[in-house]
Amino acid sequence: MTDRPEPYEEEYRIALLRERLARGGQAELGVRVERRGGGVLLTGTVPNATRREEILDLARDTLPGLTVRTEVALAGRDAPDHGEELP
Amino acid sequence: MTLLGPDRTGRPVVRVAAVGDIHLGEDCAGLLRPAFETLPGCADLLLLAGDLTRHGTAAEARVVAAEVASIGVPVVAVLGNHDHHADEPEEVVRVLRDAGVRVLEGESTVLPVAGHKVGVAGVKGFCGGFVGRSAGEFGEPEMKAFVRTARRSADRLAGALAELEAHGCAVRIALTHFSPVPDTLAGEPPEIYPFLGSYLLAEAIDAQGADLAVHGHAHLGTEHGMTAGGVRVRNVAQPVIDHAFALYRLPLDGRSAHPSEASAPAPVPARYGLG
Repeated sequence: MTDRPEPYEEEYRIALLRERLARGGQAELGVRVERRGGGVLLTGTVPNATRREEILDLARDTLPGLTVRTEVALAGRDAPDHGEELP
Repeated sequence: MTLLGPDRTGRPVVRVAAVGDIHLGEDCAGLLRPAFETLPGCADLLLLAGDLTRHGTAAEARVVAAEVASIGVPVVAVLGNHDHHADEPEEVVRVLRDAGVRVLEGESTVLPVAGHKVGVAGVKGFCGGFVGRSAGEFGEPEMKAFVRTARRSADRLAGALAELEAHGCAVRIALTHFSPVPDTLAGEPPEIYPFLGSYLLAEAIDAQGADLAVHGHAHLGTEHGMTAGGVRVRNVAQPVIDHAFALYRLPLDGRSAHPSEASAPAPVPARYGLG
Protein backbone atom coordinates (compact mmCIF):
# COMPACT_ATOMS: atom_id res chain seq x y z
CA MET A 1 0.00 0.00 0.00
CA THR A 2 1.48 3.35 -0.98
CA ASP A 3 1.18 6.55 1.03
CA ARG A 4 0.53 8.59 -2.07
CA PRO A 5 -2.13 11.18 -1.22
CA GLU A 6 -5.42 11.43 -3.08
CA PRO A 7 -5.00 13.67 -6.16
CA TYR A 8 -7.17 16.45 -4.70
CA GLU A 9 -5.05 16.39 -1.56
CA GLU A 10 -1.84 17.07 -3.44
CA GLU A 11 -2.40 20.77 -3.89
CA TYR A 12 -3.15 21.24 -0.20
CA ARG A 13 -0.02 19.30 0.68
CA ILE A 14 2.03 21.51 -1.65
CA ALA A 15 0.54 24.57 0.08
CA LEU A 16 1.41 22.94 3.41
CA LEU A 17 5.00 22.49 2.27
CA ARG A 18 5.19 26.20 1.41
CA GLU A 19 3.78 26.98 4.84
CA ARG A 20 6.27 24.67 6.56
CA LEU A 21 9.17 26.17 4.61
CA ALA A 22 8.13 29.62 5.69
CA ARG A 23 7.25 28.86 9.30
CA GLY A 24 8.61 25.53 10.45
CA GLY A 25 12.14 26.63 11.14
CA GLN A 26 13.21 26.68 7.49
CA ALA A 27 12.23 30.25 6.80
CA GLU A 28 13.17 29.88 3.20
CA LEU A 29 10.68 32.18 1.61
CA GLY A 30 12.85 32.31 -1.49
CA VAL A 31 12.30 28.65 -2.31
CA ARG A 32 9.63 28.12 -4.90
CA VAL A 33 7.45 25.01 -4.99
CA GLU A 34 5.68 24.17 -8.27
CA ARG A 35 3.77 21.20 -9.63
CA ARG A 36 5.64 19.84 -12.59
CA GLY A 37 4.32 16.80 -14.44
CA GLY A 38 3.37 14.17 -11.87
CA GLY A 39 5.60 15.61 -9.17
CA VAL A 40 6.93 18.74 -7.59
CA LEU A 41 9.87 20.98 -8.51
CA LEU A 42 11.71 23.04 -5.89
CA THR A 43 13.74 25.99 -7.14
CA GLY A 44 15.44 28.94 -5.45
CA THR A 45 18.68 29.86 -3.74
CA VAL A 46 19.99 28.99 -0.27
CA PRO A 47 23.22 29.93 1.54
CA ASN A 48 24.68 26.43 2.02
CA ALA A 49 24.31 22.74 1.14
CA THR A 50 23.01 21.77 4.59
CA ARG A 51 20.06 24.10 4.10
CA ARG A 52 19.36 22.50 0.73
CA GLU A 53 19.29 19.00 2.28
CA GLU A 54 16.93 20.15 5.04
CA ILE A 55 14.53 21.51 2.46
CA LEU A 56 14.60 18.31 0.43
CA ASP A 57 13.93 16.23 3.58
CA LEU A 58 11.00 18.44 4.50
CA ALA A 59 9.58 18.17 0.99
CA ARG A 60 9.82 14.36 0.96
CA ASP A 61 8.21 14.21 4.40
CA THR A 62 5.33 16.50 3.40
CA LEU A 63 4.74 14.98 -0.04
CA PRO A 64 4.94 11.20 0.35
CA GLY A 65 4.55 9.28 -2.90
CA LEU A 66 5.24 12.33 -5.07
CA THR A 67 8.40 12.71 -7.10
CA VAL A 68 10.33 15.65 -5.67
CA ARG A 69 12.87 17.26 -8.00
CA THR A 70 15.12 20.03 -6.78
CA GLU A 71 17.14 22.63 -8.52
CA VAL A 72 17.95 24.72 -5.48
CA ALA A 73 21.13 26.70 -6.09
CA LEU A 74 23.71 27.95 -3.64
CA ALA A 75 24.03 31.73 -3.48
CA GLY A 76 27.21 33.07 -5.12
CA ARG A 77 29.59 34.12 -2.36
CA ASP A 78 32.51 35.49 -4.37
CA ALA A 79 33.39 39.16 -4.60
CA PRO A 80 32.24 40.61 -7.94
CA ASP A 81 34.78 41.18 -10.71
CA HIS A 82 32.88 44.17 -12.07
CA GLY A 83 30.45 46.83 -10.99
CA GLU A 84 28.06 49.38 -12.40
CA GLU A 85 28.79 53.00 -13.21
CA LEU A 86 25.87 55.26 -12.16
CA PRO A 87 26.70 58.64 -13.70
CA MET B 1 36.62 44.86 -14.32
CA THR B 2 35.98 48.56 -14.86
CA LEU B 3 34.99 49.56 -11.35
CA LEU B 4 37.83 47.78 -9.67
CA GLY B 5 40.35 49.99 -11.40
CA PRO B 6 40.77 53.74 -10.88
CA ASP B 7 38.08 56.06 -12.22
CA ARG B 8 39.29 57.17 -15.65
CA THR B 9 37.39 60.45 -15.60
CA GLY B 10 39.33 61.68 -12.58
CA ARG B 11 36.09 62.85 -10.94
CA PRO B 12 35.58 62.21 -7.24
CA VAL B 13 33.39 59.14 -6.82
CA VAL B 14 31.87 56.99 -4.10
CA ARG B 15 32.05 53.23 -4.52
CA VAL B 16 29.07 51.57 -2.90
CA ALA B 17 29.04 47.84 -2.11
CA ALA B 18 25.63 46.38 -1.25
CA VAL B 19 24.00 43.03 -0.51
CA GLY B 20 20.79 41.86 1.15
CA ASP B 21 19.16 38.56 2.06
CA ILE B 22 22.30 36.76 3.14
CA HIS B 23 20.13 34.75 5.59
CA LEU B 24 23.02 33.55 7.73
CA GLY B 25 22.25 30.75 10.19
CA GLU B 26 24.47 29.59 13.00
CA ASP B 27 26.10 27.11 10.61
CA CYS B 28 27.16 29.86 8.17
CA ALA B 29 30.13 31.42 10.02
CA GLY B 30 32.85 32.59 7.68
CA LEU B 31 30.78 32.11 4.51
CA LEU B 32 31.09 35.70 3.26
CA ARG B 33 34.10 36.91 5.22
CA PRO B 34 36.67 36.11 2.49
CA ALA B 35 34.75 38.23 -0.05
CA PHE B 36 34.08 41.02 2.47
CA GLU B 37 37.81 41.21 3.21
CA THR B 38 38.34 42.50 -0.35
CA LEU B 39 36.09 45.52 0.36
CA PRO B 40 38.77 48.04 1.37
CA GLY B 41 40.27 47.63 -2.12
CA CYS B 42 37.08 48.19 -4.07
CA ALA B 43 34.47 50.05 -1.97
CA ASP B 44 34.03 53.03 0.34
CA LEU B 45 31.11 51.52 2.27
CA LEU B 46 29.01 48.36 2.54
CA LEU B 47 25.22 48.47 2.67
CA LEU B 48 23.29 45.51 4.12
CA ALA B 49 19.68 45.50 2.88
CA GLY B 50 18.07 43.31 5.56
CA ASP B 51 17.34 39.59 6.07
CA LEU B 52 20.82 39.22 7.41
CA THR B 53 19.81 36.31 9.64
CA ARG B 54 17.70 33.23 9.13
CA HIS B 55 15.30 33.63 12.07
CA GLY B 56 16.33 36.87 13.75
CA THR B 57 18.02 35.38 16.82
CA ALA B 58 20.88 37.03 18.71
CA ALA B 59 23.05 33.94 18.01
CA GLU B 60 22.56 34.36 14.25
CA ALA B 61 23.20 38.11 14.56
CA ARG B 62 26.58 37.25 16.13
CA VAL B 63 27.43 35.25 12.99
CA VAL B 64 26.54 38.28 10.83
CA ALA B 65 28.52 40.60 13.13
CA ALA B 66 31.62 38.40 12.80
CA GLU B 67 31.35 38.47 8.99
CA VAL B 68 31.59 42.28 8.89
CA ALA B 69 33.46 43.23 12.09
CA SER B 70 36.56 45.40 11.47
CA ILE B 71 36.19 44.84 7.73
CA GLY B 72 37.90 48.13 6.90
CA VAL B 73 34.93 50.06 5.45
CA PRO B 74 31.87 51.50 7.23
CA VAL B 75 28.91 49.09 7.28
CA VAL B 76 25.34 50.45 7.20
CA ALA B 77 22.36 48.11 7.61
CA VAL B 78 18.61 47.86 7.87
CA LEU B 79 16.83 44.79 9.24
CA GLY B 80 14.48 42.62 7.18
CA ASN B 81 11.42 40.57 8.06
CA HIS B 82 13.53 37.49 8.86
CA ASP B 83 15.47 39.57 11.39
CA HIS B 84 12.17 40.13 13.22
CA HIS B 85 10.99 36.50 13.24
CA ALA B 86 12.29 35.62 16.73
CA ASP B 87 10.66 38.77 18.16
CA GLU B 88 13.95 40.14 19.38
CA PRO B 89 14.95 42.70 16.73
CA GLU B 90 16.38 44.98 19.44
CA GLU B 91 18.83 42.19 20.38
CA VAL B 92 19.81 41.75 16.72
CA VAL B 93 20.38 45.51 16.47
CA ARG B 94 22.43 45.55 19.69
CA VAL B 95 24.73 42.72 18.52
CA LEU B 96 25.28 44.39 15.12
CA ARG B 97 25.90 47.82 16.67
CA ASP B 98 28.42 46.29 19.11
CA ALA B 99 30.33 45.13 16.01
CA GLY B 100 30.33 48.68 14.64
CA VAL B 101 27.46 48.31 12.15
CA ARG B 102 25.27 51.41 11.77
CA VAL B 103 21.76 49.93 11.91
CA LEU B 104 19.12 52.35 10.64
CA GLU B 105 15.36 52.28 11.23
CA GLY B 106 13.95 55.59 10.15
CA GLU B 107 17.35 57.15 10.72
CA SER B 108 20.17 58.52 8.61
CA THR B 109 23.94 58.43 8.74
CA VAL B 110 26.50 60.58 6.96
CA LEU B 111 29.92 59.26 5.91
CA PRO B 112 32.88 61.32 4.69
CA VAL B 113 34.19 60.11 1.30
CA ALA B 114 36.96 61.96 -0.59
CA GLY B 115 36.07 65.24 1.10
CA HIS B 116 32.36 64.91 0.36
CA LYS B 117 29.39 63.73 2.40
CA VAL B 118 27.67 60.48 1.47
CA GLY B 119 24.34 60.00 3.25
CA VAL B 120 22.31 56.86 3.80
CA ALA B 121 18.68 56.95 4.96
CA GLY B 122 17.42 53.55 6.08
CA VAL B 123 14.20 51.84 7.03
CA LYS B 124 13.01 48.23 6.79
CA GLY B 125 9.85 49.22 4.94
CA PHE B 126 6.81 47.00 4.66
CA CYS B 127 4.31 45.36 2.29
CA GLY B 128 1.14 46.81 0.83
CA GLY B 129 1.60 46.71 -2.92
CA PHE B 130 1.99 49.11 -5.80
CA VAL B 131 -0.16 51.78 -7.40
CA GLY B 132 -3.48 50.39 -8.57
CA ARG B 133 -2.91 47.08 -6.81
CA SER B 134 -2.42 48.04 -3.19
CA ALA B 135 -4.13 47.56 0.14
CA GLY B 136 -6.21 50.44 1.51
CA GLU B 137 -6.56 51.74 5.05
CA PHE B 138 -10.17 50.67 5.43
CA GLY B 139 -12.29 48.12 7.26
CA GLU B 140 -11.10 45.84 10.01
CA PRO B 141 -8.54 47.06 12.56
CA GLU B 142 -6.06 44.40 11.34
CA MET B 143 -6.27 45.74 7.79
CA LYS B 144 -5.87 49.34 8.93
CA ALA B 145 -2.89 48.37 11.10
CA PHE B 146 -1.29 46.59 8.11
CA VAL B 147 -1.56 49.63 5.86
CA ARG B 148 -0.58 52.06 8.61
CA THR B 149 2.60 50.07 9.23
CA ALA B 150 3.63 50.66 5.62
CA ARG B 151 2.66 54.33 5.81
CA ARG B 152 4.58 54.98 9.02
CA SER B 153 7.60 53.25 7.56
CA ALA B 154 7.50 55.44 4.43
CA ASP B 155 7.09 58.55 6.60
CA ARG B 156 10.18 57.61 8.59
CA LEU B 157 12.13 57.13 5.36
CA ALA B 158 11.00 60.58 4.18
CA GLY B 159 12.17 62.06 7.48
CA ALA B 160 15.57 60.38 7.24
CA LEU B 161 16.04 61.52 3.61
CA ALA B 162 15.17 65.07 4.66
CA GLU B 163 18.02 64.89 7.18
CA LEU B 164 20.46 64.00 4.38
CA GLU B 165 19.33 67.00 2.38
CA ALA B 166 19.78 69.18 5.48
CA HIS B 167 23.37 67.90 5.80
CA GLY B 168 24.10 68.85 2.18
CA CYS B 169 25.09 65.34 1.17
CA ALA B 170 26.70 64.97 -2.25
CA VAL B 171 25.14 61.53 -2.65
CA ARG B 172 21.92 60.39 -0.93
CA ILE B 173 21.08 56.69 -0.76
CA ALA B 174 17.76 55.22 0.38
CA LEU B 175 18.30 51.78 1.95
CA THR B 176 15.29 49.51 2.54
CA HIS B 177 14.56 45.80 2.76
CA PHE B 178 11.16 45.87 1.05
CA SER B 179 10.99 47.14 -2.51
CA PRO B 180 9.82 50.66 -3.40
CA VAL B 181 9.01 49.67 -7.01
CA PRO B 182 7.57 46.68 -8.90
CA ASP B 183 10.30 46.85 -11.59
CA THR B 184 12.83 44.91 -9.51
CA LEU B 185 10.27 42.20 -8.68
CA ALA B 186 10.11 40.90 -12.26
CA GLY B 187 10.51 37.14 -11.96
CA GLU B 188 8.41 36.87 -8.79
CA PRO B 189 4.82 35.64 -9.15
CA PRO B 190 2.75 38.83 -9.74
CA GLU B 191 0.21 37.63 -7.17
CA ILE B 192 2.72 38.15 -4.34
CA TYR B 193 3.92 41.62 -5.33
CA PRO B 194 1.78 43.18 -2.57
CA PHE B 195 3.89 41.25 -0.03
CA LEU B 196 7.18 42.34 -1.53
CA GLY B 197 7.01 46.09 -1.20
CA SER B 198 5.05 49.31 -1.18
CA TYR B 199 4.76 52.27 -3.54
CA LEU B 200 4.66 54.46 -0.42
CA LEU B 201 8.43 53.98 -0.12
CA ALA B 202 8.95 55.21 -3.70
CA GLU B 203 6.64 58.15 -3.04
CA ALA B 204 8.79 59.14 -0.07
CA ILE B 205 12.00 58.72 -2.11
CA ASP B 206 10.65 60.85 -4.96
CA ALA B 207 9.29 63.53 -2.63
CA GLN B 208 12.58 63.98 -0.77
CA GLY B 209 15.01 63.11 -3.55
CA ALA B 210 17.76 60.48 -3.63
CA ASP B 211 20.52 59.40 -5.99
CA LEU B 212 20.10 55.66 -5.50
CA ALA B 213 17.61 53.35 -3.77
CA VAL B 214 18.84 49.93 -2.67
CA HIS B 215 16.63 47.09 -1.43
CA GLY B 216 16.46 43.30 -1.05
CA HIS B 217 13.64 40.85 -0.18
CA ALA B 218 12.75 39.71 -3.73
CA HIS B 219 15.00 36.70 -4.31
CA LEU B 220 13.52 35.91 -7.71
CA GLY B 221 13.41 39.52 -8.89
CA THR B 222 15.82 41.50 -11.05
CA GLU B 223 18.51 44.02 -10.19
CA HIS B 224 17.43 47.14 -12.07
CA GLY B 225 14.47 49.45 -11.61
CA MET B 226 13.50 53.12 -11.37
CA THR B 227 10.95 55.12 -9.42
CA ALA B 228 8.31 57.24 -11.15
CA GLY B 229 10.43 60.27 -10.28
CA GLY B 230 13.54 58.82 -11.97
CA VAL B 231 15.53 57.54 -8.98
CA ARG B 232 17.53 54.41 -9.81
CA VAL B 233 16.56 51.36 -7.79
CA ARG B 234 18.74 48.27 -7.32
CA ASN B 235 17.60 44.93 -5.87
CA VAL B 236 20.72 43.54 -4.19
CA ALA B 237 19.20 40.33 -2.76
CA GLN B 238 22.12 37.89 -2.84
CA PRO B 239 20.26 35.35 -5.03
CA VAL B 240 19.68 38.15 -7.58
CA ILE B 241 23.22 39.52 -7.73
CA ASP B 242 24.72 36.00 -7.26
CA HIS B 243 27.78 37.44 -5.53
CA ALA B 244 28.79 38.39 -2.01
CA PHE B 245 27.94 42.01 -2.91
CA ALA B 246 27.19 44.29 -5.86
CA LEU B 247 29.27 47.38 -6.62
CA TYR B 248 28.02 50.78 -7.80
CA ARG B 249 30.04 53.91 -8.52
CA LEU B 250 28.42 57.34 -8.26
CA PRO B 251 30.00 60.76 -8.89
CA LEU B 252 30.35 62.97 -5.83
CA ASP B 253 30.23 66.21 -7.84
CA GLY B 254 27.00 65.48 -9.67
CA ARG B 255 24.71 67.79 -7.73
CA SER B 256 25.12 71.14 -6.04
CA ALA B 257 25.18 70.08 -2.45
CA HIS B 258 24.37 72.92 -0.12
CA PRO B 259 23.13 72.36 3.39
CA SER B 260 19.50 73.48 3.49
CA GLU B 261 17.20 74.32 6.34
CA ALA B 262 16.17 71.14 8.12
CA SER B 263 12.48 70.83 7.57
CA ALA B 264 10.12 67.98 8.32
CA PRO B 265 8.68 66.40 5.17
CA ALA B 266 5.19 67.55 4.26
CA PRO B 267 2.34 65.09 4.87
CA VAL B 268 1.34 63.32 1.67
CA PRO B 269 -1.96 65.16 0.95
CA ALA B 270 -0.20 68.51 1.36
CA ARG B 271 2.42 67.48 -1.21
CA TYR B 272 -0.30 67.41 -3.80
CA GLY B 273 -1.95 70.63 -2.62
CA LEU B 274 -4.72 68.80 -0.77
CA GLY B 275 -5.85 69.43 2.78
